[in-house]
Amino acid sequence: MPAGPGGRSLPPRMLRRNATFLVIAALTLSAATAVWQLRGQAAVVHALLATWDLLVVVLPSILAGLLLSAALRQLVPPGALARWMGAESGLRGLLVATAAGMVMPGGPMAAFPVVLVLAQAGADRGALIAFVLAWSLNGFQRILVWELPILGPDFALLRLLCGLVLPLLAGQAARWLPIRWTPADAPGLQGTRPGPTPPEPGPGGGMPR
Amino acid sequence: MSLGVVALWVVALVALGLCFRHGGGKARRAGQDAGQALAKVLPVLLMALPMAAFVAELIPAGWAERWLGPDSGLAGIGLASLAGGLMPGGPFVAFPLVLGFLKAGAGPSQMVALISGWAILGLHRTLAWELPILGGRFILLRLTASFALPLLAGLLAELLLPLFPGIPLR
Repeated sequence: MPAGPGGRSLPPRMLRRNATFLVIAALTLSAATAVWQLRGQAAVVHALLATWDLLVVVLPSILAGLLLSAALRQLVPPGALARWMGAESGLRGLLVATAAGMVMPGGPMAAFPVVLVLAQAGADRGALIAFVLAWSLNGFQRILVWELPILGPDFALLRLLCGLVLPLLAGQAARWLPIRWTPADAPGLQGTRPGPTPPEPGPGGGMPR
Repeated sequence: MSLGVVALWVVALVALGLCFRHGGGKARRAGQDAGQALAKVLPVLLMALPMAAFVAELIPAGWAERWLGPDSGLAGIGLASLAGGLMPGGPFVAFPLVLGFLKAGAGPSQMVALISGWAILGLHRTLAWELPILGGRFILLRLTASFALPLLAGLLAELLLPLFPGIPLR
């Protein structure tokens, strides 16, 4: 995702993305070697066949999910919801944040930058925590693409029912806790401040304020 | 193709249609975004799906049944919450693993706790994404506010399970 406050430092982001792939590749190869050594060749073949079955089931969902996620990013400006989620918003603010988190598509590379956007637009820490938990626990996209096809509708519904109120509880707890957090504490925001920032004085010109 | 997949395609195409109504540029950008995202996701996915299958082959028979079985109660729910927090990777790793555990005899409530622990505590996501973008103070706030919630989810599942006769208990 090129958008978002972290987008300026491209090389570290690319490194991190490749690092994820390399770490997973290393884990997969070690797991494959271990299976080969401990359980023999038949077990390796069995695992690969299970992988293929799963891929056939999951791939159509992934394609649709990515398309939906991209279309929603074009349709819904993330900042549009923020004025409903301030510190005075009460339970309604937590409900709005929870709903926003559930419809938030995309992985962590999309969701955490949106937290920064919401915070700068006035969402308080309770709403931000509720947003993150609603996204990671009950994000519709993940439920539709992964949980429903793999684990089945009965289990997916049970799991969703058990997770439905947790973001509200966490958001309320975050409002009670004496741990303050502002966007200025975020490493992802350092050096990038969209919004009414005084223009930086050029080299040799202007006084530091 | 299951009903869920069809529904997802319908919703995705409706959203794409709405983009078209805002002009071809938005729809084209949506298509490009989706293609770029696929190019990023697919390599990791093709590497991660076999990992879940290999790990499932390595888990000793009876492990899930013994430690996380339907009768393991609160201890099993607590263990599952912690194990979920340590479970690596995205949904492409986690859900196939949970499917493997369920088939191996793990209890549904324990698996609800496992998924909730993975979603809430998830060490991998916290270190790889939350720390660099939002910082340690945000993680402290979030984990203090939510570390006990996977247990709560597991206990809720224990209460609700009788309403779900479609979920097999082994």
